[in-house]
Amino acid sequence: MYCISDEQLDFILHDLVARGIETESLRYDLLDHVCVIIEQELGEGEDFEACYTSAITTFYKQELREIEEETRLLLTCRHHLVLTRNMFFLLLFAIFLGPFIAYPYAWVVSHGGVTKWNLPFEVWGASLIFSLFPMLVLLVLFFTPDRLDPVIPWRSKVLIGIRPLIKIVPVA
Amino acid sequence: MFYSTELLKGTLKTIILKLLADNKKMYGYEITQKVKELTMDKIQITEGALYPTLHALEADGLVTTETEFIGKRVRKYYSLSPTGKAKAKEKVKELASFIETMVSLLDIKPKMA
Repeated sequence: MYCISDEQLDFILHDLVARGIETESLRYDLLDHVCVIIEQELGEGEDFEACYTSAITTFYKQELREIEEETRLLLTCRHHLVLTRNMFFLLLFAIFLGPFIAYPYAWVVSHGGVTKWNLPFEVWGASLIFSLFPMLVLLVLFFTPDRLDPVIPWRSKVLIGIRPLIKIVPVA
Repeated sequence: MFYSTELLKGTLKTIILKLLADNKKMYGYEITQKVKELTMDKIQITEGALYPTLHALEADGLVTTETEFIGKRVRKYYSLSPTGKAKAKEKVKELASFIETMVSLLDIKPKMA
């Protein structure tokens, strides 16, 4: 069985860091895992780096960083509500739009029901005008999903909970 | 036949907890190989799914870890905590009940040996 040298071990460790594995315990897990594979697959005189590259590429779909991100997501979201980006915006605008939509109906109920359907223009007008802008933003968000969004990147998850209240986790 | 990722996602924690319940302590590579062996290669746990789940189980207090040095590198062994042992039984029971329900719901006839 092939035996990995200390230099090769350092090479793998540095590569794992360079590929975005920042959590130390996860790095040691992956290091041991890839070393076992190399030790079993690499024959004497064969190329170590080629064997390492072919082994490590089986660990991920696009980037090795995915494992780090998934680990962080699972560790963070244990006490948080996990929302997709679209769900988060929907919730945000529901909070903004909700009062505007509900207020006229609440007004009708508190003023004798539908028989006295004489809402003043201020109520309907203000509701309509103030709800237009959030509606417009919502439409832009849904119909242009691939635009650059520096605040909440496309395909990221939004975690809502306590400490931190809102956390954005990019998912590859 | 390989099973889809969607099917495996919901059962991964149960698989890991049951394996650890049966094998006392295991390291990551050993878990993937044991699953392959027991399922005759039908289920292959990827590293991208295994390690995040193991770390989440550790954070939940269901598994504990101990390290061993293999030369210069560290090997982490995972084993069940007392809470994890109870959870493993509960999860296996839940999954067995779910399978029974699915068999009845989808009208699946069990294969005769």
